[in-house]
Amino acid sequence: MKIDIAHIAKLSRLHLEPEQIAKFEKDMESIVAMVDHLPDVKDTLTVDPNNAMQLREDVAKEHKFKREEMLANAPEVQAGCLVVPKTVE
Amino acid sequence: MELFEQTASVLSEMLQKKECSAVELCQSVQGRIAAVEEKVGAYVTQCEDALEQAEAVDKARTAGEILHPLAGIPIGIKDNISTKGLRTTCASKMLEQYVPPFDATVMQPIRDAKMVITGKLNMDEFAMGSSTETSYMKKTHNPHCLECVPGGSSGGSAAAVAAGEAILTLGSDTGGSIRQPSSFCGTVGLKPTYGSVSRYGLVAFASSLDQIGPIGKSVKDVAMLYSLICGHDNMDATSAYRTYPDFAAALQGSNVTGLKIGLPKEYFGAGIEDTVQTAVMNAVHLLETNGAIVKEISLSSTEYAVNTYYIIASAEASSNLARFDGVKYGYRAANYDGLTDMYERTRSEGFGDEVKRRIMLGTFVLSSGFYDAYYKKAKLVQRQIAQEFAAAFQQCDVIITPTYPTPAFRLGSQIDDPLKMYSGDVCTVPVNIAGLPAISVPCGKTETGLPIGMQMIGAKFAEQTILRAADAYEQLCGGFSCMPQTL
Repeated sequence: MKIDIAHIAKLSRLHLEPEQIAKFEKDMESIVAMVDHLPDVKDTLTVDPNNAMQLREDVAKEHKFKREEMLANAPEVQAGCLVVPKTVE
Repeated sequence: MELFEQTASVLSEMLQKKECSAVELCQSVQGRIAAVEEKVGAYVTQCEDALEQAEAVDKARTAGEILHPLAGIPIGIKDNISTKGLRTTCASKMLEQYVPPFDATVMQPIRDAKMVITGKLNMDEFAMGSSTETSYMKKTHNPHCLECVPGGSSGGSAAAVAAGEAILTLGSDTGGSIRQPSSFCGTVGLKPTYGSVSRYGLVAFASSLDQIGPIGKSVKDVAMLYSLICGHDNMDATSAYRTYPDFAAALQGSNVTGLKIGLPKEYFGAGIEDTVQTAVMNAVHLLETNGAIVKEISLSSTEYAVNTYYIIASAEASSNLARFDGVKYGYRAANYDGLTDMYERTRSEGFGDEVKRRIMLGTFVLSSGFYDAYYKKAKLVQRQIAQEFAAAFQQCDVIITPTYPTPAFRLGSQIDDPLKMYSGDVCTVPVNIAGLPAISVPCGKTETGLPIGMQMIGAKFAEQTILRAADAYEQLCGGFSCMPQTL
C-alpha cells in the first residue's frame, strides 16, 4: 500500500526533512504490509466481567504540587506562566 | 565471593546477621561500577548519595529498628520510572534534562523499605526497541559478550544485574522488555499480571500493555522485590483491587510434582534457533523427570500476535507521546516560526527515528479510513489471543516457551531492519496482549557462552504458580550463574 508519509507526519506533528521522507516512506510501507496480515474476527466485544478494574469516586482533592515545582521543567517561563509562541493576531 | 556477586536473599540474611553492613555492600557495588561501567554502560545517571542511603540503613539497624528484608540492598531503576529529584530521561533527548517533581508509586515502598537506590538505567528510547540501541544517551553492552546487545528495552536493568552493578533492578515490559533482556543477560525477570503493579509515574508507552517488574539473579530475589512493589494504587485507574501473598515465603518447598506444563507447538517452530529449542526442551525434560506432566497444546492465533501488538502499542504510543510538545516540560527546539512549527521541530529534534516510526504507525492505524482495518481488527484479535490462553489454562498450570528465538545478537546487526527487530518479539508479545504474568529464567548457554532464556507463562494473577515452578527449576538445575566470569 502507498502511504502518504507527508500527511501522516503532519497528523503526528513531526517535521521530516526532504532527504528523510523516502526512507520513512519505505519503512512505513513495509511495516504496514507486515501488520496488515490479520484474520477476520467476529465483533463480539463486550465488557469483560472478569476485569478487576473499578473506577474510584470522583472527589476533588487538593493538589500536592507547588506551582514552582511544576514549572521547573518548562522550557520557558515568565511571571509564573508557561510561554508559548503567539497564537492570535 | 565478593558482595556484589551475591543474591539479594543471601545479602539480606548477611545484613540481618551483621555479617556485612549496608555501607560495605554499597561500596562493593560502587567499586564494581567503577571497574566495569565503562565497558558495560548500564547507567544513565548514578546516585551520588547512595553511600549516605546505606549509612542511614546501618544507623537504623544499630538503633534496633525493625527493617524490611530488602533494607540496604542496592537497586537500580529503569530510566522511565519517575524518581523525585533524580533525572528521568527515558533515554531520549526529549527528556534529557527532565527532573520529576514526584515519585512513581513503586518508588514509595522501595524508599520505605530503605533499599539503596544506585541510579537510573539505560533503555531503548521511550522503551521502544529490543536492543537498547535506540537510546539517545549511550550504548549498553551485554556483560556476557561486549560486542552483543543486552536486549531491550530494559537493557540497562538486565546488564546491571548480570555485571554486578546492582543487586536488583526494576524494568518495564510492554512487549517483552523485562524478559528478553533477562534472556540475553542470563538474569531472572518477571513481567507481572497487568494491573498488579501501579503504573503511576511510569512514563507511558502503551498504557494497556505496560507493566513494571523486577529483575534479579534468582527467582527468590525477584519474588522478594515483586512482593514489595505489587498492590492496589488509587493513582492508577487500571490497578487491580486484590491482596497478594508474600511471594518469597510462598517459595518454601517449591516442587513440580504434578505440575501440568503446556508446550504450545506454535512457539517451537520455524524461526526459533536450534540451540534455543534444545536448551528449553532440556529444561522441560528435567522438570518432567522430576514429576511435571508435559503436554503439547496449541495457541493458534500466535502468528498474528506481533502484528496485533505493533498496531495496538503504536496506536497508544502515538496518543501518549502527543504530550511532548515543547511547552510544559522537556526539550523545545531553538528555532521555529509560530506554534505549529514549534511543535513539529521540537518533536522532530527531540525524538529518535524509532520513536518517530512508532508514532507515525500509530497515527496511521488510527487515522480516518484505516481505523477499522487495523486498530479495531487488532483489538478483536487481542480478545481472541486472550481467550486462547484462558482455554489453555484450563488444561495446564504453566505454559513454557523460549523467551526469544535467538541468543543476544551483535550490536548494530539489526538496528537498520525494523521488521526483523519486531518479528523477534513473537514469544513475548502474546503475554502482554493477554495481560498475563510471565517469568524468564536462564536455561543454558550457547557454545560461545551466551545465555538462553526460558519463559514460563501463568494465568492472570497466578504469579505464585510460575514463581514456584521457576524456583523449583532453579533448585533442580543447581542454581543460576548469571554473572560472566570474563568481565
